Amino acid sequence: MIIDVSKFGTTLVSRPSGKEAWLAFQPTLNNVQENEEVTVDFSNVAVLTPSWADEFLTPLRSRFPGKVRLTNTDNASIKATLNTLAKQ
Amino acid sequence: MASKLISIGKASKLLGVSIDTLRRWDKTHRLPPVRNGSKGHRYYRQIDVDIFLRDIVALAKQWVSAETGITPELDVYCQTRDVFQARLEKLQSNLQRATLSSATSLLSAIAGEIGNNSFDHNLGNWPDITGIYFSYDLDNRVIVLADRGQGILATLKRVRSTLTNDTEALRVAFTEILSGRLPEARGNGLKFVRDVVVENPFTLDFETGTAHLLLKENDKKINITPSDKHVRGCFAIIRFGNLI
Repeated sequence: MIIDVSKFGTTLVSRPSGKEAWLAFQPTLNNVQENEEVTVDFSNVAVLTPSWADEFLTPLRSRFPGKVRLTNTDNASIKATLNTLAKQ
Repeated sequence: MASKLISIGKASKLLGVSIDTLRRWDKTHRLPPVRNGSKGHRYYRQIDVDIFLRDIVALAKQWVSAETGITPELDVYCQTRDVFQARLEKLQSNLQRATLSSATSLLSAIAGEIGNNSFDHNLGNWPDITGIYFSYDLDNRVIVLADRGQGILATLKRVRSTLTNDTEALRVAFTEILSGRLPEARGNGLKFVRDVVVENPFTLDFETGTAHLLLKENDKKINITPSDKHVRGCFAIIRFGNLI
């Protein structure tokens, strides 16, 4: 499965919006097959913060351990956010 | 004419503060008047008032440190998170025209973290004014965020009762992953802000209560000094002078 993160918005900064994205996406995630890779595509995302990512990426990685792959993470705030999450 | 003199009453109306406040600002040299007439009444040069009104840092500091909370002007007031989100996106769009795309992304991210942090920690508990003060001046390359919330000490004391003062609390907020909303896994927002500031040509002044943190590019240590004025909640100034 490929998750197009920009479909949740391009300025992803708050916890409530990250949590809402996670909850709203549950029915779609239920279709992920066993052993299927989950690709998170950050194309067109302009701003990402740890607050949003912590509510979406962190639970996604917990639900699909070892199967989540991130792509198009060149944006400066996405890189900085992923560095912060990696320190947790 | 820019240099005309105006009365203290008119200056007070233009600035949205009381005459007593202007007298205090005279004593502290914050906004000095011109003494005129045999009785030495205070008059203000119109140009000084105009400059002060454009000084978004001074206006926000005045708001966040005033004893009584006053609802800010609508153009700088984000009562809810939705309003803040919309204005943050506007800032982002304005920054895109003024600076590098990486700086736009990072400045929007740290402003977003600081602003949302205010909402996260004060939801349902605002002492007087709900929401945040958010303004920016891209000509002077400065972004200002302020809240009259509970401040960092009160927020972190709930989960670390040994904290006794604003300086300790501010240091913890910028150096440790400790959430004021335990058991939720949070607490990395201001560490993220710190990492971004020290790795880029930005500076951050962050004040809460009586503590003032100044952070700049390549800083290895946290530098906290006493604040010149008691800040009710949190007050942040982000500068990005070297990018444009």
